[in-house]
Formats: sequence, structure tokens, C-alpha cells
Amino acid sequence: MRYDDMTEAIGNTPLVRIDPDVHGLRNIDLYAKMELLNPFGSLKDRAAWQMARPLLAGAAERGDTVVELSSGNTAKALAMIAGMHGLRFKSVTNRMKVPEVKDLLLLLGAEIDELPGQAECLDPSDTEDPLSRMHRTLTSNGSGYVHTDQYFNERNVEAHLHGTGPEIIKDLDGHAPDYFIACVGTAGSSTGVARALRQHDPDVRVIGLVAAKSDFIPGIRTIDEVHEVGLFEPDVYDSIETITADDAIDGLLTLVRRCGTPAGPTGGGAFHGAVRHLRTLDDSLTERRTAVFIVCDRVESYLSYLRERRPALFGRPPRRNDTRLLDEAEVAAAPTIDVEEAQRWPGLVVDLRSPYAFQALHIDGSINIVDELFAELLHGGLPFSRRQPVLLVCPVGEKSARYAALLTRMGHPSVRSLAGGVIAWRDAGARLVRD
Amino acid sequence: MPDSDPLLLTPKMDPIIQSVLAGPALLRQLTDGLGSPLNIVLPEALDANVAAFRAVYRQHRLRGQIYFAHKANRSSALLRHLATTDAGVDVASLGELQHALGAGFGPGRIMATGPKNREFLWLAARSGSTVNADSLDELSELAGLVAAGRLPRVRVMVRLAEFASRGVHMVSRRSRFGVPAGLLPEALDRIDKHADQLELAGVAYHLDTIGVAEKAIALEGCLAALDECRRRDAPAWSIDIGGGFGVNYLDDGEQWERYTSELAQAVLGRRPPLTWNGHGYGLRNEAGTLRGALGLYPAHRPVSGPGYLSQLLAATAPEQRRPLGTLLLDSMTDLDIEPGRALLDQCGLVLARVLEVRDGPDTLVRLEMNSRDVSLEEHGVLMDPIVIPQDSAGFAGPAEVFLLGNLCLESDLITRRKVVLPVRPRPGDLLAFVNTAGYFMDFSATRALHQPIGRKVALFRTGGRWSWCLDEQYWPVPERAEAA
Ligand SMILES: Cc1ncc(COP(=O)(O)O)c(C=O)c1O
Ligand SMILES: Cc1ncc(COP(=O)(O)O)c(C=O)c1O
Repeated sequence: MRYDDMTEAIGNTPLVRIDPDVHGLRNIDLYAKMELLNPFGSLKDRAAWQMARPLLAGAAERGDTVVELSSGNTAKALAMIAGMHGLRFKSVTNRMKVPEVKDLLLLLGAEIDELPGQAECLDPSDTEDPLSRMHRTLTSNGSGYVHTDQYFNERNVEAHLHGTGPEIIKDLDGHAPDYFIACVGTAGSSTGVARALRQHDPDVRVIGLVAAKSDFIPGIRTIDEVHEVGLFEPDVYDSIETITADDAIDGLLTLVRRCGTPAGPTGGGAFHGAVRHLRTLDDSLTERRTAVFIVCDRVESYLSYLRERRPALFGRPPRRNDTRLLDEAEVAAAPTIDVEEAQRWPGLVVDLRSPYAFQALHIDGSINIVDELFAELLHGGLPFSRRQPVLLVCPVGEKSARYAALLTRMGHPSVRSLAGGVIAWRDAGARLVRD
Repeated sequence: MPDSDPLLLTPKMDPIIQSVLAGPALLRQLTDGLGSPLNIVLPEALDANVAAFRAVYRQHRLRGQIYFAHKANRSSALLRHLATTDAGVDVASLGELQHALGAGFGPGRIMATGPKNREFLWLAARSGSTVNADSLDELSELAGLVAAGRLPRVRVMVRLAEFASRGVHMVSRRSRFGVPAGLLPEALDRIDKHADQLELAGVAYHLDTIGVAEKAIALEGCLAALDECRRRDAPAWSIDIGGGFGVNYLDDGEQWERYTSELAQAVLGRRPPLTWNGHGYGLRNEAGTLRGALGLYPAHRPVSGPGYLSQLLAATAPEQRRPLGTLLLDSMTDLDIEPGRALLDQCGLVLARVLEVRDGPDTLVRLEMNSRDVSLEEHGVLMDPIVIPQDSAGFAGPAEVFLLGNLCLESDLITRRKVVLPVRPRPGDLLAFVNTAGYFMDFSATRALHQPIGRKVALFRTGGRWSWCLDEQYWPVPERAEAA
């Protein structure tokens, strides 16, 4: 396969059968459309390219910026496409809750505008939400923006009507599947694929999956939010069902651990939603059926999302020399000295506060090792000689007492904590300097 | 499929409000004697709120002052009671400053905020209150007044705005207030220039948003500003982060979610309207798609008030990547806050008498009050009133009603929402709008049409029973000890 540029690698993703031992359905063959194999990482590559292509002519000469309301995959794809064509890209969002995605976009050279939260003191005369206002600036002529408008742009649907849908039929030897299950974000993929499949066989059942209200699954909408999507037409779906973030993660774990498929949460959600829906039909079937769901993107961008919701998946063995392993009696017995004695301290003074605070003001001659780093050092063992007296300083003397207790436990004979911390030092009128 | 269960929005009520409602005889006596509407404040409910904020300070090992944002309620009783706690007061007008001085707050406990006129500046300076300067010119004007009157040096804070964010650009609502953070050096120059008149105590912000991310940027910006002050040998030790901690008004998040879902369905025409004339509270139907934004206060807010403060302090500073609370502590900074709404959580209610119940296509309940007397709707807060029936003889219920005000204006609805009451009210019954002390009581009450403004009374417990007095008669004076 030889291409002139990466956009040619968009599409033609494989359709992979899921092992029946994994899903447990007896009469249904379940296939995954592996959209995660698109070059920029997701099914949104198709829509991004389809929407951006006609807008590119002349845009670079005018110095336009491509802009989209996106918190993830569309932004990623557009940033790459814009970069390939010498354009800038800006993503406007209030939904960007996954830090890796944010960092990745910045790495790709995107600009990110984050919309403000709701006003605490409501102004009833302000009927314009920031999003509508933003929309108006974008669409006014000569704004310098090229707006792809994924929630309303028919080309988002067409990308799947002419691409994803027909590919599925081709790979099923010219048949449409009996069931098609997809998560709904902009509704572009589910609407486009459904249309293509039904043109082939009007009896295809289409199941749309959305997140439960007040839940959050990155990339898709909640049951309420879908109504804000211009491309969303309720009639496309035979049913709209909700999945929870927990369901999505369960599905993701099955796909990554048993199916060799590094799927993100919506791929997991689609798998979970598909099996849940199909299981109720499986027993009553008398002939074989096929079902297809979409794996939208890859797992790597969601590590912090997963860590937050399933910390146990990342459980690491406890580390040695950890202040959390001290008991209260040890902490209470930590050796301390007061400000007066501290002013005559002959040894090393270690300030555990943040570097900014340290640089602004500190005890003359002290060194700064911020507590997080200090904790890291101690996991490895004593970072200074036992013959070196050490005075630990923190804001109010609490953290320093814990570390003094830990160092004592580790066998350091002459460590002390400054009672009351640097605040007591300041309040006593003792000298603080900046270098 | 429209939901057919009644769409209740049951207010969250602490035991203190439940206890007041448990004594309908007193409430009836008060409205009979003083008229409808009637504003009731519960000074002692303040104690728990101050204590809850203090607990957050302790948890984060922080020092600093809690300044009650007086603007949230004009009550004297609340202010005087607050003077018995360790909280201070944030005053935003000459009148509020006079009120605070008269309620027993010493100048060390008063912070003057917002844009000020010369009289306000003078009294703040003369009394020794801290002046939270809203602009560069205000600093100069204040210095001029202090010099002309040979007054002692005044402690000043500089209110900053327009904090820069890096990496991700945070779009913030435009604000009328404060000095752009980039102009801090100029503010410090002015303070330097008037070193005999002004003494820098710290920097401040107040952002009208519920977004923690925006506040995290502002707070980190203030830390950087204090750093700049220290670099210029003008050590200042305080950051005042303003108010906006929010209140949780509803008991049950499910009710709120169900109501907002159904409202969207109603706007899309998929169920009968839930509001007067199909009002959408900011949502509209464009060719079957829901557009606009819900212009309502998020009435169910599990993390609000002290919890919200704690969340902010636990949030990671975007640049220094350490919790904001830890950074405050590291830099020995005192944290000042100005909660208004949150400090008045559960501190009062408004009573109104039912004048008429009219049947028709909709049931209309006309009240002896108007929408300015309980400005819930104006602030986008939806919660149900409590019916206090005149007698207990067989009522029918539940009832779906519209609540109308007593102004002869089409627009005078207490709320445009169709309210579901558990019992059908009758003329002479009372409705209690609970948890309205913060901003919703008489904040924008008017004498339009010569309708009266509600009287305000303070309720307090003596010997296990509720007693009352007019708001201006309330003084938190201990009872005389029996002579030995
Ligand atoms: C991870 C992920 N899954 C699913 C979807 C849904 O696709 P569509 O927008 O075509 O409905 C999106 C869309 O943004 C997505 O980012
Ligand atoms: C400067 C300032 N501080 C404090 C407040 C109080 O805000 P809240 O009642 O939301 O806590 C306000 C409200 O407008 C304000 O402008």
C-alpha cells in the first residue's frame, strides 16, 4: 500500500468477529467495525476529512483558522488535517474533561478555548449562552474562521453513508447485518451507517447508545444532550438505550483483555450495549443473525479517566518508607524544636514547601526539597548521612513532623521538625529572606 | 414518553426550618398581625454555616477571615447575630458600611468592596476598615481623601480581574469590576507613591461563575501577584477570593434531573407544556433540535457552600501543579472569603397568603405578594413552596397550579413554572417559600401599585419555643443573669 498522504489511509477498516466464548450469544454472530485503526485514531477521521476537504481551497492563502466545537477525536483529526494544509486549528469546548486529550491537542499545535461555567448570580436578561455567541462570531463573514460545524454538517453523515456503511455490507458478503449498534455523539456515524444499511435492507434494526443523565462517557452525549444535536433524528433509531460509565469500562476491559482490541470507553460501551440488547433476543431466535457494533477509538487517551473511576485497576504495591504507614503515636513523638532554638540550628535546614513559595521567602541558608520529591527520595532510603543534623520546615509544622517521624523510624538520630512551621517563624518576627 | 408522575421540586430543609414550619399557629398569628408577604429570618441558623466554613479552614490548616457579603440580605437581625461569631462583613455601599458599624463590627472585621463613591471611601478610611479597591483610580482617590483628612494609613486590597491562562485558553465572561491582572505593577506603583496613606494587605478576586477551573486560574493568578508584591518588598499576606460558593436548594437530585429532562421534552413539543405560555427557560425548539442554554440555577448542587470551597482548595493549580490550598499554606497566605448566598443557607423564609384559587384550563392561585417579594424566578431558582393549610379539614391533592402575584401586570407570576402542590390550596392558606434568605427575600421588592413591602421578623428560640420580634428590634444580647 503506497499513499501520497495520510488522509488516503482513512477508512477501509476491518470488520472483526468477536469470539462467541467472550460474548456468550449462541445464535448471533457479533462483529466489531474497527474504526480505531484510522490513521489519526478514530472514526472521526472520516467525518473530519469529509467536512474539511471542500473548505481547504484558498483557506491557507487567507490565513484562516479551522474551528470546531470538539472535545476529542474530531479535534484531533482536524488538527492533523489543518497542520498538513498549513492552517491553524482551534477547538472550542466546555466538555474537555480528559487531560490526556487536552495535552495531545496542544502537542498537535491546536489552540483550545474553554467556555466558562454558568453564572453564580443568574442574569435573566442574558438569554445568550456563550456557545451561541461563539457560534455567531464564527459564522460572520470574513471572521478568518473556517467552521466545520460537525453537529449540523450533513457531510459528517455522508462520510459514513458512503464509507463506513458500504464497507460493512461488502465485508458481510453483500448483506446488511440484522442489528447495528452505535454510540451517539454528533449522530453522524450512526445516522450515516443506518442509512446505508437500510438502503440495502430496510429491516435492519438500529440501536443508539447514549450515556445516562449526569454520567460522563467521553465522546458521546447523554440522553438529554442528544436533543441539542442538529444531525440527531429520533426516527433513525429503533431504540435509544443508555449505558453507564461503569458499563462502558466493563466492556472496554473485555475488549482489551480478551479480544486483542485496544478500545476506548465508547467502544467498550457499544460492546456492552450490544451484548445486553442482543442477549434478550438470543434465546428466541431460530436462525442465525448478525450484528455489528463500532469501536470508535483507542484506550490510551483515557488512562486518567480509567484511573479516576477504577483506581483498583492500577493498584501498585505499597512502597517502603511511606509517611502513610506511620501510626499516630510515632507522629506525636516526632522530635520538634521551637522557633527560638531553630534560629540557632547548626545543621541543614530543609524546606518542604513549593519552589515558588520558597523562592519568595525562606529561612536563610535553607535548601528546598518540595514534599512530593522528598517523599520519592525517602522511598529509596535516607538521602543524607546519619551524622548530618537536619531541621525540616513546612508551613505549619504538620508535614515536617510526619517526615521527622519517618526519618527517625529510618534510623536518623538527629532530625527535627520546626514546631508551628514557617508561619510560626514569621509570626515570631524571625528573619525570612529571598535570594 | 412523557413522565406522568408529578414533577416535584422539594426544597432541602434543615431541622431548623422544619421546626419553624411545625408551628403553624405562630406563623398564622404573624401574618394576621403583620400582613402578607412576611419575611422571616433565623439568625441562629448562621452559626452552623459559619462553623462549616471554619471547619474547611481547619481541614486545610488555613487562616483568614470569613466576610459575609451583606448584599445578600438587608436584615439587621442577621447582621447583628453574625457580629457574635468570628466572621466579618463585606460591605458594598455606604449604607451597608454604616449598618455594619452599627451592628457591632469593629473596623478589623469590615471589608469594603465594589465600586465606591467618595463618601463610602471616606467612612471606610475614617473607621479603619479594609478597602478592597475596584480600580486604579479608586486607589488614588482614597489616598487623596486620607491625605486631606490626615487619616491613619488604610489597609487596601487590590481586586484583580482578567487572569491569563496558559496552554488552554479559558474564555471567561466579561466583568465590569476589578483591575486587569496585567496592571498589577501600576497598582503597586500607586500604592508605593502613597505609602503614607495606603498599606497593601493583599489581592482579591470575585468571579461570577460556578466553574472551579476558572477560579483555580484566578487563585493561582493571585498567588503570582502576591509573589510580585514580595519581590517588590511590599509583603502582603492575604488573598480574598470573593463569594460564589453556591447553595444546594433541592432535597433530591432525581427530581431535578427528571424536571429538566421533561422541560426539554416540553420545549420540543413532545409533552404538554410545564410552564406559562410554554416558556422554555432559555431553551428553544429549532426544527426539532433543542437550542439555547438552560437559564436556571443548578438547584441541586451536592457540592456547594463549604464543600465547594474545599473542592477549590483541593484543586490542582494549573501551572504549579500542587493543590491550591497547599500553595496558600506554602506561601504563608491567609485566605479571605466573601460568601453571601452560602452563608445564608437555611436562614429564612417568606410567607404569603392565598387570596384566590380559580379553576379553568389551569388552576390559578393568586397570592398576597408579587414576584419581586420573593425573587426566586428572577434568579432562576426553582423549588416548591410548602402549603400551610388553615385547618386540616379534608383537602384534595395533589394539585397542579400556577402562582400569580398581586400586581395588575400580565408578567407578575411568582414563577412561570407549573407548580405541583401536595394539597390543593384554599383562600386563607399560607404558602411558605423556604430557604430564601440569600438574595430572594426582599432583594428587589418594590412599592409599585402601592402594594406594601413585606415586614421582616426574626425568629429565635427561648426555652425550647419560638419567639419573634421585628427584625430591627433584634439584638443578640444575653439575658440578664439572676442577681446573686
Ligand atoms: C470516542 C467517540 N465515540 C463515539 C463517538 C460518536 O460518533 P458520532 O459523533 O458519529 O455520533 C465519538 C464522537 O465524537 C467519539 O469521539
Ligand atoms: C465582590 C463580591 N463578593 C461577594 C459576593 C457574594 O457572592 P455569593 O452570594 O454568590 O457568595 C458578591 C456577589 O455579587 C460580590 O460581588
